[in-house]
Amino acid sequence: MMLSTQIAAATAYIQSRTKVRPSIGLILGSGLGALADEVKNPVLIDYQDIPHFPISTVEGHAGRLVIGELEGKMVVAMQGRFHYYEGYTMQQVTFPVRVFKALGVDIMIVTNACGGLKEFLYPGALMFITDHINFTGANPLIGPNENELGPRFPDMSNAYDKALIQLGKSVANGLGIETKEGIYTAVSGPYYFSRAELSMVRGFGSDTIGMSTVPETIVAVHSGMRVLGISCITDMAIPENLVPLEHAHVVATANETRPKFIKLMKGIVKQIEAI
Amino acid sequence: MIDSTQIETTAAYIRSRIDGFQPAIGMILGSGLGLLADEISHPIHIQYEDIPNFPVSTVAGHAGRLVFGELEGKNVMVMQGRFHYYEGYPIETLALPVRVMHLLGVKQLVVTNAAGGVNPKFSEGDLMLILDHINFGFNNPLMGSNLASFGPRFPDTSRAYSARLMEVARGVSRERNVLLQEGVYQFMTGPTYETPAEVRMARGLGADAVGMSTVPEVHAAAHCGMEVIGISYISNLAAGISGKALSHAEVVETIETIKEKLIHLMRGILRAM
Repeated sequence: MMLSTQIAAATAYIQSRTKVRPSIGLILGSGLGALADEVKNPVLIDYQDIPHFPISTVEGHAGRLVIGELEGKMVVAMQGRFHYYEGYTMQQVTFPVRVFKALGVDIMIVTNACGGLKEFLYPGALMFITDHINFTGANPLIGPNENELGPRFPDMSNAYDKALIQLGKSVANGLGIETKEGIYTAVSGPYYFSRAELSMVRGFGSDTIGMSTVPETIVAVHSGMRVLGISCITDMAIPENLVPLEHAHVVATANETRPKFIKLMKGIVKQIEAI
Repeated sequence: MIDSTQIETTAAYIRSRIDGFQPAIGMILGSGLGLLADEISHPIHIQYEDIPNFPVSTVAGHAGRLVFGELEGKNVMVMQGRFHYYEGYPIETLALPVRVMHLLGVKQLVVTNAAGGVNPKFSEGDLMLILDHINFGFNNPLMGSNLASFGPRFPDTSRAYSARLMEVARGVSRERNVLLQEGVYQFMTGPTYETPAEVRMARGLGADAVGMSTVPEVHAAAHCGMEVIGISYISNLAAGISGKALSHAEVVETIETIKEKLIHLMRGILRAM
């Protein structure tokens, strides 16, 4: 079945459940799902009810779309996302982004929890993603291109929208929240990288490492959406100074960082029409 | 998995169509260079769709046929249109045409491609002799059961590109006064153009150009012991090098402007091989 047919079916179902026409799409990473609980008059749609949607399996990730009003804007939020390491294809991982576009979304804000490779970062730091490196070996656009969805060879030279980063920084300043900027490398996971591998990725020029976001951004750019990416640094992955890493620790840091992250996200959503 | 019997079937079909013609040189033509195949005298054309086990090329601007005949006094077998990993083919499919060339008696392979310039000394429109490659595709066509009749389980790719043919190309570039840069080609899956961060990474790894083809075919050629020469044409500077956005339309435009010198060089190389 054509991807565009699947997108149309998913979109039709969602639109049969709500009259809200969202313009901002939110992908909420580990620990940030609570932001979706602040959506007013929310319509909740479980992934399992949406035609062609995959179903989330990872611990701590709910699996539903939350559609409604946030800070005066109509948003669709993914409460729980899909990861390549769960065994989904790249096309499945990015299917919701296709549906965002079909619902009328033109700005996607994607968040994640990731490891910091450089000393300028710290656990709990929030970082605007300025660029990425795809080290997964896969790409959601491999396969026949459906031209109505986007070009065969999308330009990635400005994948993360500079004006949105500027907006994010000014909102953060206004709220007194310190933010950083840097490059995010996506790896397949699910294992945390070895010292030698971390050192290699740092050598690539990357500031952080994680297991998500890049596939979604590629498809958002392919679809012609503007993207803002924000990472929460949940652990330091500096190879010379590595402590054993557990998922529980990552979750704990994400939870501690949540209040300021939510504050920042709400501020950005509120201000987003100003650009 | 495409096994030896299937490759034999493909080769047998082609033999039945070329009337005893013996190709010595195989050529894989990159984007926009297909018209070199139109200059072959007494050509025999075989559409990919007619060839058993051959996939059909899907990308715009790539014809899909084999052309047999004489070019610069050499018996050539040309792929007019190639297969790309980003089109969704299993990577072993990219090895099939090269393996068929081998069965038909081809001993030398000329591969060309359009690539993004990563070396800051390169200009748009430069030609580059491929000295070596980096496989950043996380995949290769030799995985799976080894086809022992074609080559060894663990082929050496430290000399994948023939030093002898490099010398030939350098000589032709001097004689014909066509500037020929030299460098390392890095294979990326695509189909997204690289991000500036990925381009800086590629530079750090030692690449001079990045592209979405060639390396799988060269793996197949190295496996069956062909002598390979690779020429890239820098159809654009990679992201972040020039600061401007990349578009396929502009890539195609640039290729138009360099076609003539590229064909001039390629014909010279063929003649001297």
